[in-house]
Amino acid sequence: MIPPKRAAAAVLVVLTACAPEPAAAQGGAIDSLYRFFFVAAAVVFVVVSGLIGYSIVRFRRRPDDDGSLPPQTAHNVKLEVIWFALPTALVLVLIGVTFRTLGDVTERAERPLTIRTEAFQWGWRFDYGGGAVVVGLPEDPAEIVVPVGRPIAFELVSGDVVHAFYVPRFLNKLDVVPGRTNRLDITVTRPGSYEGYCAEFCGLLHDRMTFTVKAVPPEEFDAWLAELRGQGGDN
Amino acid sequence: MATAQAHPGGLALWLTTTDHKRIGLLYIWTAFGFFVLSGLLALVMRVELAQPGLQLVDNHTYNQLFTMHGTGMMFFFIVPMAIGLANYFVPLHIGAPDVAYPRLNALTYWLSLAGALVAFSGFFTATGAAAFGWTGYAPLSGATYSPGPGADLWIAGLILSGTAGILGAINFIATIFGLRAPGMRMFRMSLFAWNILVTSILILLTFPVLTAGLALLFIDRNLGGAFFDPAQGGDPILWQHLFWFFGHPEVYIAILPFFGIVTDIIPVFARKPVFGYRGFVLATMLIGAYSFTVWAHHMLTTGAVSVMFFSITSYLIAVPTGVKFFNWIATMWGGKLTFETPMLYCMGFLFMFLVGGVTGVFLASPPIDFAVHDTYYVVAHFHYTLFGGSVFALFAALYYWFPKMTGRRLSERLGKAQFWLMLAGFNLTFFPMHLLGLQGMPRRVADYAPRFAGLNLLITLGAFLLAAAIALFVINVWRSARAGERAGDDPWGGYTLEWTTSSPPPEHNFVALPPIRSERPAFDARNGGGGDG
Repeated sequence: MIPPKRAAAAVLVVLTACAPEPAAAQGGAIDSLYRFFFVAAAVVFVVVSGLIGYSIVRFRRRPDDDGSLPPQTAHNVKLEVIWFALPTALVLVLIGVTFRTLGDVTERAERPLTIRTEAFQWGWRFDYGGGAVVVGLPEDPAEIVVPVGRPIAFELVSGDVVHAFYVPRFLNKLDVVPGRTNRLDITVTRPGSYEGYCAEFCGLLHDRMTFTVKAVPPEEFDAWLAELRGQGGDN
Repeated sequence: MATAQAHPGGLALWLTTTDHKRIGLLYIWTAFGFFVLSGLLALVMRVELAQPGLQLVDNHTYNQLFTMHGTGMMFFFIVPMAIGLANYFVPLHIGAPDVAYPRLNALTYWLSLAGALVAFSGFFTATGAAAFGWTGYAPLSGATYSPGPGADLWIAGLILSGTAGILGAINFIATIFGLRAPGMRMFRMSLFAWNILVTSILILLTFPVLTAGLALLFIDRNLGGAFFDPAQGGDPILWQHLFWFFGHPEVYIAILPFFGIVTDIIPVFARKPVFGYRGFVLATMLIGAYSFTVWAHHMLTTGAVSVMFFSITSYLIAVPTGVKFFNWIATMWGGKLTFETPMLYCMGFLFMFLVGGVTGVFLASPPIDFAVHDTYYVVAHFHYTLFGGSVFALFAALYYWFPKMTGRRLSERLGKAQFWLMLAGFNLTFFPMHLLGLQGMPRRVADYAPRFAGLNLLITLGAFLLAAAIALFVINVWRSARAGERAGDDPWGGYTLEWTTSSPPPEHNFVALPPIRSERPAFDARNGGGGDG
């Protein structure tokens, strides 16, 4: 016998397991919020489409209809006030939940590892400081290494057009806008290799502006960074 | 010569007409042509995306395809189609002989056709058509990153058709306020006429903002301007504000007329009055007003806007839309429903738009938007609203009004086959896009990682079903226009005034008008009475 609570949780995971498992703390918060929305949306969808479906079946004209008109009901103020209030209440709940999560997602770490990330047509340049730079182009996309568990700040800049920094497994993205410096805070929670994309259309080879983020334990990261600095970067 | 001018016939008749019904038909035919053309562009995209790697087109061609697909659908299909239907039916609904300014009306059609041709003519230049998305984000759309005449033709085409939209909006507002028949009070107008009124106000207030933005972009490109170039002190974010200040009301411009159509059709096939007429009008006005406050929810990931403000307004706009759903259900409740083709498409609209509405609430939440913005999730969302919503409702309108426009009915059998094929094809095409987006596939890409391959193949199959459904409609029109069953004046037992005149209506619409004592004058005339006093 599976405990009903656990079974319900399993069903919920299956139903909402459309998004990948988040690999960042901020992504985890977004994932929980998404699951909450999914349940609320499923309830709304089932109720409303159920009412439409019920009307279609129940109020279909019968073959033995006598041709008379049905009751010509045209309004009911009490009902209309109720169904103005219902979605309003639901929306207020969603606003509350959203803003509780928003703070967790956009909170800035005090002393992060800063990676100055420059997007350009059509590649990425990641600058860790101290001469440690990784550059990627369409034919040879960048592979960067980051530490697990240490807050990272990606400082996003562009010298040409608008791009967007997007790692699907972080469940988060931020535009890279020429003339601005945007900052995306990420704390990676699990080691692994994650695909990264440019999400804002940026011209000819937009689809090939990819990169890879490899998350490793901090000691391994420190060794990698020291070696890179020793080489003076790979550019 | 004098007689030829007095009674032009054939082609000259169509070229010189100021009759709102003929202009309406010109709009409808032209818009349908751009629907097919823009759809074919999408079909080429789907063939390219059927498997990973580049097989059919190169990157530059692909980028032109999705740019002109979006541009064609938004600017030259859905909005002109709504304007065409409004041209034909708003004067009929309010009991007017024509629109307020018939010659201005003719000008708007020819301007909008010219705009469409100019924008698409980019395909015939050496460097191709515009290739920066229908949103034209700066500085990508500037001269440095998009050299060549395709972009300028895109700008010129949009300015021409935008000007047509503004002039048309003035015409509809004047017509609705000035030409209503005796007894046709504002609160007795069809919901379609109400929605066209609100839509026209949105057009009047937002198209000039787009036009201004396009003029600035043109100056940047050709006359040394620096409005959007950060290297010279300009700001790319300014373009996004100008574009979306137009662009979000634009999506309501693309859906409100179709809300109106559905709201007028469902009661006819439920044999009841619409439930909550005033509630519908209020909800429409609220949607119109709110639509001016939500634009930057398209910019939540720019790091340059107040996500809190635009999130709250975006949530709130869901409320009047939700109210409409309850009113549609209450209209059916207790009725005697039959499901001829127009009603069938309305039911498709209700279910599909519901999905699009629900996913819209997800996107109003900034953290969720951070995850799925600019992925296929968004592509799925807006196709559920604009195709599942507007286009399903459009087919409801075309099946409902074809008899009035031609005197003949479309085949019910073919119409129902088209409906089920379109429903299956639509969902097979656009539902998997939600999953692709959640898994992280960015939009506007010619190629993708192999892990997205299975769903993409499925989507391409769906797109061909969808194309087959549209082909069935074309066949239906082709056959029914010549050999369809005669419709008579009122094949559906309609409620609004167009059903009290002949099919098609005479030159100035009505020989005699019935008394107008409620929002259902044709119903009252049939049933001898009515009226809300």
